[in-house]
Amino acid sequence: MTWRPFHAVVEREMLKLARQRGRLVAQMIRPLIWLFVIGGGLGAVMSRQGMANYQAFLVPGVLGMTMLFGAMLGAFSTVYDKESGVMRLLVIAPVPHAWVVAAKIVSATALALVQGLMLLVVLAVLGYVDSQVSFALLAAGMLATSVACAATGMAVATFSGTLENYAVMMNVVIFPLFFISGALYPVEMLPQVLAVAALANPLTYGVDIMKHAMLDGRAGTFAGAELGLWRDFVAVAFFTALAAVIACVRFTRAAACEPLIHPQSRSRPRPA
Amino acid sequence: MTTAAIVAAGLTKRYGDTVAVDSLDLSIARGEFYGLLGPNGAGKTTAVHMLSTLIRPTSGEASIAGHSVLEAPVRVRGAVGVVFQEPALDMTLSAAENLRFAGLLNDMRASLIRTRTSQLLELFGLAEARDRRAGSLSGGMRRALDIARGLMHEPEVLFLDEPTIGLDVGNRRAIWRHLAALRAQMGITIVLTTHYLEEAESCDRVGFIDHGCLVREGIPARLVAEMGEYVVEIEASQPQLLAQALEARFGGVAIEGNLLAFRLDDDPARAARLQAEFGAQVRALRWRRPNLNDVFLHVVRGEGVRGGAAPRNGARAIDEAHA
Repeated sequence: MTWRPFHAVVEREMLKLARQRGRLVAQMIRPLIWLFVIGGGLGAVMSRQGMANYQAFLVPGVLGMTMLFGAMLGAFSTVYDKESGVMRLLVIAPVPHAWVVAAKIVSATALALVQGLMLLVVLAVLGYVDSQVSFALLAAGMLATSVACAATGMAVATFSGTLENYAVMMNVVIFPLFFISGALYPVEMLPQVLAVAALANPLTYGVDIMKHAMLDGRAGTFAGAELGLWRDFVAVAFFTALAAVIACVRFTRAAACEPLIHPQSRSRPRPA
Repeated sequence: MTTAAIVAAGLTKRYGDTVAVDSLDLSIARGEFYGLLGPNGAGKTTAVHMLSTLIRPTSGEASIAGHSVLEAPVRVRGAVGVVFQEPALDMTLSAAENLRFAGLLNDMRASLIRTRTSQLLELFGLAEARDRRAGSLSGGMRRALDIARGLMHEPEVLFLDEPTIGLDVGNRRAIWRHLAALRAQMGITIVLTTHYLEEAESCDRVGFIDHGCLVREGIPARLVAEMGEYVVEIEASQPQLLAQALEARFGGVAIEGNLLAFRLDDDPARAARLQAEFGAQVRALRWRRPNLNDVFLHVVRGEGVRGGAAPRNGARAIDEAHA
């Protein structure tokens, strides 16, 4: 087996990202809006209640959000590939289809990491990242978050036949994953049902690792990490593997790609 | 091991009650240029997709370059290049980047990708378009790029599924020039599907497929020769009346609107004399050599059996080939 097909898929995504600067800027602005507008507003409310520094708590959360969006949109490009015909190239490449799925997960992960790192730089410039942060752990957390979100996105994408589902995916998958992840509020403060949902959400664990890296040992923050690091990593690994298996099974099943491979010949009327 | 590039035995694909391809048997030699012909929806594309492992046959077996499509699909995919009906290009990438993407997917070294890219862009007249985005290329250039894409990894077998569909005459000719150059240089096995039958006349062998069945196979020149020496076409003012008069003398006369067509095996001057004989009833008269369209109408539609025939309803694509 070989790495070159991976190279091909990742390189293509990077080229496309570099050419869509608007997309990059939008991906940078969204988390900053959350941090300053939501974080600023809610933070002000909370500080009146005597709860300090909500914004600092939100920093790992918006990092997670950026990587969630980056990875999910990267994975959903699979749906776009189906419509544009590029999927046929991937399916006809002389590698097992599981490798195609793996390559797409790797490229979505890379997309998410690039965007996460860019946001990290912006945050550092703005003074939200200081030397107290455990950078090795933060890097591990960013990687874990990206991989888990990419695999989840890939699994979801294999269930989505057309681009019309795109907006639906956004609202039904990405936003709930973000809201119920501990990114905006500690999981322990959630009502029981939502807390259970949060524990079934891979993003929860990724964000928790980043909270460990950025908030551990820091005085005066609103809340810190809630789950054990060991548990976080195991959960991320579990969800990533599960999502990857689902994606592979769905992708290889003929029914998942057949109608997209020859849309025309099927709809064409047979001559009498 | 045989010398056959493609062998199919009883290859069948069913979608529910519809039989898209019905126990197809094929044997295509290495280096052969084979045309799979038939009307839209006849099963050509489904056959190509099964042979290139894109879809699994319902039953039957096929092998490409000695690799089974069922047991070694990855090897088959390494041995074939496929140019689909719809372009499989990333419109946001440049021509060269598209070829690089295809090369990497096929596990080619960067240096090899560079030389192949230059060669193929040159061969397909795209050297100038190297750094232009695929989305900004004309339909003909895109198609040429797509074929180059299918050739990046030097496949043993190239499947061309309706490569000239939707292209104007100039671009169609250009594509055929490129393919002729390609065959001369590489000696590759090519399987072409098309319903522009004139394009198939340069094939070494053609097979006619209809309703999923291979109904006739042979060398184009021989199939055409079986259709007789000449086909006479007459534009008549009273087609039924004239047809009756001609039927007795020439045998089967096909009628399409006010156009009559029949086969003539001896002196074409006999046909010319009809003009004088029937006078104003014959508004136009011409005779020509039969071609693959006549074979097609004969074997696929069962029309114009003894005479070459004009296209009938549903055969508009064939009609276009005359233009």
